[in-house]
Amino acid sequence: MTMNSSTGIGIEAVDLVKTFGSTRALDGVSFTVPTGSVFGVIGPNGAGKTTIMRALLDLIRLSSGRASLLGTDSRNAGPELRRRIGYLPGELILEGRITGRRLLRHYANISGPVQAGRIDELADRLGLDLDRTVRTLSKGNKQKLGIVQAFMHQPDLLVLDEPTSGLDPLMQQEFLSLVREARDAGQTVFLSSHVISEIQQVADEVAILRDGRIITVSGVEALRDTAIRHLRMSASGIDVADLHDRLFPLAEVGELEVLPTDTGAEATAILTGALSPFVRAIASLTLTDLVVEEPDLEESVLRLYSDANAQPARQGLGR
Amino acid sequence: MSATTQTDAPARADRFDRRTALPIFTKSLSDGWRSVVGWSIGFAAALSLYLPIFPSMSGNSQMQDLIDSLPPELTRTINYQQIDTGAGYTQSTFFGLMGFLLISIAAISWGAAALGGDEESGQLELTLAHGVTRVQVAFERFAALTLKILALALVAFLLILFWNGPAGLDLDIGNLVVTCLIFGGLALVCGSAALLCGALGGRRIWGIGGGAAVAVIGYVFNAIGNQSVDLEWLHNLSPYYAAYGNAPLANGADVWTVVLFYAAALVLGGLAAVTLRQRDVGV
Repeated sequence: MTMNSSTGIGIEAVDLVKTFGSTRALDGVSFTVPTGSVFGVIGPNGAGKTTIMRALLDLIRLSSGRASLLGTDSRNAGPELRRRIGYLPGELILEGRITGRRLLRHYANISGPVQAGRIDELADRLGLDLDRTVRTLSKGNKQKLGIVQAFMHQPDLLVLDEPTSGLDPLMQQEFLSLVREARDAGQTVFLSSHVISEIQQVADEVAILRDGRIITVSGVEALRDTAIRHLRMSASGIDVADLHDRLFPLAEVGELEVLPTDTGAEATAILTGALSPFVRAIASLTLTDLVVEEPDLEESVLRLYSDANAQPARQGLGR
Repeated sequence: MSATTQTDAPARADRFDRRTALPIFTKSLSDGWRSVVGWSIGFAAALSLYLPIFPSMSGNSQMQDLIDSLPPELTRTINYQQIDTGAGYTQSTFFGLMGFLLISIAAISWGAAALGGDEESGQLELTLAHGVTRVQVAFERFAALTLKILALALVAFLLILFWNGPAGLDLDIGNLVVTCLIFGGLALVCGSAALLCGALGGRRIWGIGGGAAVAVIGYVFNAIGNQSVDLEWLHNLSPYYAAYGNAPLANGADVWTVVLFYAAALVLGGLAAVTLRQRDVGV
């Protein structure tokens, strides 16, 4: 039964509910991840990302609902299932007194079989020195150890909680290429983050999680189209009214505020959709500062959600 | 497509890294041997301070006069009534006092760290996410705890055996073996209580508290029960009394006394496994 991955379902979560005392950490979460795909979950801290992952691995027990991984019910699943899973906890704590190599040897003993040379290959790619004592490693290098132990046995399913935390940008790219290779090899990847940028490069689908609920699941492209960016700019030689008149007519600009400065004017706004009309509108200005923040997909999705459904604002939405 | 990794894996599985049998058990031992050596040095120090001076104590009527002049409640509390024989002296100074203290601290700290401490540090979560069961983790760690405590009991046995002749203790070797087994068994009960309480609470301090409660209450109930006939019923509640009440080093002990301790420890270890199996880990 566990070997039947021909169903094509890597993870199936149905109405997951988890309460801790009076806190409802998961409030009816359902999603499906096809095998051989990358599924990302984003959401603010405390949204329930880690709780989902812990429940999938049977570290915590659901109050109700069920999840199956690779065709096997996760509840009380035996070691056979977890040998086919690679897990990277969000708060990675590793034993400090031994070398990275010995630590990985231990985890290899209790995970699926690891091909000879695989650990060194991964360590090389990530630039990780396995012969140093774990305690002496930086946070980023400890995280690399965590990544190696999750990937080394080439598991059918990878569950990665905030996998790039602590990695420098170069290593983030290397990690993302590991994820792509895993997907190309038919492995299923479930990963979380509180920033969209690291997920949008690899994920086939993204779920936005908030207060223990999935607000939306969609493809990354679809999400990006709805993205809103925060804009802050200042220009010299222009007064408040002029700047306002240039920006206000643009359909992409919202929540515009223009204030005078010593040399001209400054504006803050949010941008939705295409950038070019905005760029054309400011092309002739003498800019002294221009900051367009990375699209905050979570925020844009939340706005869409509350607009479209006219649902009574959930806690935190109206913030 | 996804099935390829599954079905092809054995085909190119010609060169997998070798795996260790009983991985959790062997890991506990490889992590713990330094600690065993450390406590062994403590044992050697304690025994090498106490035992060599026995000849000057036993033949010395002044020493006995001193003991006799102490309040009887005190001598009963610290079990110093019979220190004029080698067996009584070794029992009172080492097995009943210093050795009991040292091995209990060792066993409780190991037991508390094994599950409660590991969960508190956050490492248990990652271990349990691998191809092991919780019951397996609990039992392999219980087995490692047992072996480490037995190693300490063996060290005590060898050290006392070494001093038996030079210090003129005149101990019966059979009784010494049994007493060392009981010595280890009592510590294992304390350590297993620590393991269980650590598994219950998911915190090291729970384990320390539970294990220390068994050790301290056992000792205190024994000491109070020694004071008067009216209080002797407290002996029934004291693992310490069950171990040493009948002076096993002088009189020997039946095999069931030994079995009792190890069976009790096994029950506590089993309860720890069942407890861990039910719980949310790492929350």
